[in-house]
Amino acid sequence: MQKKRILIVEDAAYMREMLVEMLEQEGKKYEVVGFAVDGKEAVEKYKELKPDLVTMDLVMEVMDGIQAIGEIKKHDSNALILVITALGAPEQRKAALEAGADEYLWKPFTVKNLSDVLEKLLRKREE
Amino acid sequence: MRDRVREIMGQQNVKGLDYKILILFFAVLACVVLTFYLASKGETRVYTHLFYIPILLAGVWYHKKAIYVALFLSFFYILVTYPLTHLSVDVFERSAILVVVAYVIGLVSEKRAKVEEELRETKDYLNDIIKSSADAIVVVDKEGIVRSWNKAAEDYMGYTADEVIGTPNKKFFADPEEADKIMEIALREGELKNYRTTVLNKDKKPVHISMSAALLKDKKGLPVGTVRVSRDITKIAELEEKIKEKRDNLDLILESMADGVYIVSGDYKVEFMNRVLIDEFGDQVGGICYKVFHDREEPCPLCKNTEVMKEKTVRWEWHSRMKNKTYDLIETPLKNIDGSISKLTIFRDISKRKRIEEELKEAKDRYMVIFEHALTALCVIEEDKKISLANKEFEILSGYSREEIEDKKWTEFIAEEDLERVNKYHDERRKGGAPACCVFKFVSRNGEIKHVNTCIEPIPGAKRCIASLLDITELKMKEYDLRETCEKLAELDKMKKDFLNVAYHEMRSPLAPIVGYASLLERIEHTDKGRKYIRNIEKCARQLEKMINRMLELARIDSRKVERILDEFSIQGVVREVVKSLEPEAKVRKQKIAIVIPEIEIQADKLKITAIFTNLISNAIKYTHEGGRIDIMVVDRGKDIRVCVADTGIGIPGEHLPKIFERFYMVDTSLTRKSGSLGLGLSIVKEYVKLHGGRVWATSELEKGSKFFFTMPKRQK
Repeated sequence: MQKKRILIVEDAAYMREMLVEMLEQEGKKYEVVGFAVDGKEAVEKYKELKPDLVTMDLVMEVMDGIQAIGEIKKHDSNALILVITALGAPEQRKAALEAGADEYLWKPFTVKNLSDVLEKLLRKREE
Repeated sequence: MRDRVREIMGQQNVKGLDYKILILFFAVLACVVLTFYLASKGETRVYTHLFYIPILLAGVWYHKKAIYVALFLSFFYILVTYPLTHLSVDVFERSAILVVVAYVIGLVSEKRAKVEEELRETKDYLNDIIKSSADAIVVVDKEGIVRSWNKAAEDYMGYTADEVIGTPNKKFFADPEEADKIMEIALREGELKNYRTTVLNKDKKPVHISMSAALLKDKKGLPVGTVRVSRDITKIAELEEKIKEKRDNLDLILESMADGVYIVSGDYKVEFMNRVLIDEFGDQVGGICYKVFHDREEPCPLCKNTEVMKEKTVRWEWHSRMKNKTYDLIETPLKNIDGSISKLTIFRDISKRKRIEEELKEAKDRYMVIFEHALTALCVIEEDKKISLANKEFEILSGYSREEIEDKKWTEFIAEEDLERVNKYHDERRKGGAPACCVFKFVSRNGEIKHVNTCIEPIPGAKRCIASLLDITELKMKEYDLRETCEKLAELDKMKKDFLNVAYHEMRSPLAPIVGYASLLERIEHTDKGRKYIRNIEKCARQLEKMINRMLELARIDSRKVERILDEFSIQGVVREVVKSLEPEAKVRKQKIAIVIPEIEIQADKLKITAIFTNLISNAIKYTHEGGRIDIMVVDRGKDIRVCVADTGIGIPGEHLPKIFERFYMVDTSLTRKSGSLGLGLSIVKEYVKLHGGRVWATSELEKGSKFFFTMPKRQK
């Protein structure tokens, strides 16, 4: 099975690092192909790398996550986007989903939470 | 008239002269002729006796002038008989006798003529009177037969003298008996004066007359009839009737007046009192006024009788000591038929009015005192907006003296920018509308601006208003301060919300690597100790997360961002799930959790109901001693359910009970408190219950346990 190529969009370096660690824990399933620290970069990187999945933070400089989701979905409506954020209000969740996010993972989360949601997301896509 | 009669008589005399003088002339001539004849025959004895005839005639007719006839005849006789007698004594004797006889006859005749003349004159005079009298003069004889009937009688009776003279007088009377009665009185009394009766004229119409009669007597002094002078008084009678009627009406009016009325004559005699006055003073008609009304022996010093008798109307107030009452008197002259003057007095009892006036004055004074000493500025605004009255406070407020204020217009005290608004308010108040008060800027002396709250009240029945003004400058300043503070607070509140929103995110973010790395560590660390440490890190991180979440939730509730997502579910199921998740904790504390819940489906936000139960049950676990007991009971009450979570824990002190649902409220803030709570759980419970239209409350007994209740409709609207 081919590794799923993942683009990590996250402004905090320690979070990026941790996400890489967690994805590595899942062994051969995922491959981090790139990082972006803001929405604008995320859109550019998506176009460049064409990843299978994007983990998207919402609160970022230059362009926020919601906008970036919109942009990416506009470019590729099949893009898979997992929102990973500390913002937990239902209206914020709703806004993200409406912009086109496929799943929502609320900070803080365990490695299991992450792998569960990823699996759920990929399974859904395969179906 | 009399002169005219005389003139006519004089003419008659001239006419009479002709034949009398002729007869006399012929008589004298006959005597002369006879004397000549007898003398020519030589008869000396001429019969002088014949001479007496002309002398007598002359004497009768011409009185003393007869002497000239006698002298003429004597001289002639002497002359003629001279040749025969040669002036014998006898002749002279006869002549002298002739003259003397003539003189005597003339004298007697003249006297008689004079008497006759006088008699005739008197008679004519009487006739004149009778004829020209305006009164009817009628002579009736003893038998009641009319003997004389003058012109005036003809006029008002309609009968001519010819028609009635010689007929009985009975027929003229409306009551025939009256004819006899009049005669009877006249015979008995010798006269009759102003006897009033009614006669019928030729047209049988009644004529009112006033009759006077005198007895007519013959030479022997025996009564033969009556002469009656009567006057038509129909008009007078009518007038009298009218006057009487008027007087009666006047009496009736006076009688029915609400005021007392009395009439007093010029000599103080009470002639009339109406009912009102009689009721008050008793019937004193006929009494002397100063005696009966004033209990005095002589006219009162204040009496206005003299003035009224001079035809003046007087009005004055009189205080009766007898009655202790004050009367308003109007006294006016009243002319009587006989020309005398009486005094009409209208008596009005004004004691009550006096008293009311006094009371009114007192009330006015009282209100003036209140007005003057009120703690609010007060002024009276006239229709033209001029201030007619202002009190001391108004002086203080405006800085002007009363004289200055009472010369100004109300509008001069209103700041220009408020003028239109205040005028509008004023006009509407006058019409009875508009709100009670109006706040505006008051311009006092030297242009100083004061904020006043005014209330303009129209004075009932007058076009003026009374305005009360309260200086609220200080209040207004405080209001400005408050408003400023409020604005600042609102700004702060917004800052706080913004800050909190950011803070939640920023606080949660560092939790992510803590929890995340702990979960990663768990995978690589295998010693029991290491695992325990990791679990503790995780647990603490989760607790922190929970607290942050609650704060976030409350902030969202405050900004009304929380909505319900309605679901149908079994209440029993929810409680069991919650209990299941909390059971490990209870087990540790050796507590027993019992559930008594009927199988009921309710419609609600499942997440929030779960949160409510989680909060209440975890609180119960937390505050119950080891080995305690927790009971969860739900009662189906038809439309709603009532939930009770009871524990056997430490309880809540009574003074805290009403506040435990308040935000950030902590029963124990000491260092010895049980940690791990910010006091937000119950306030979230309260908000969630409220959101579902329910009510939450608690009862508790220290060291025995607490019971938390809430109700919730089964169906949401």
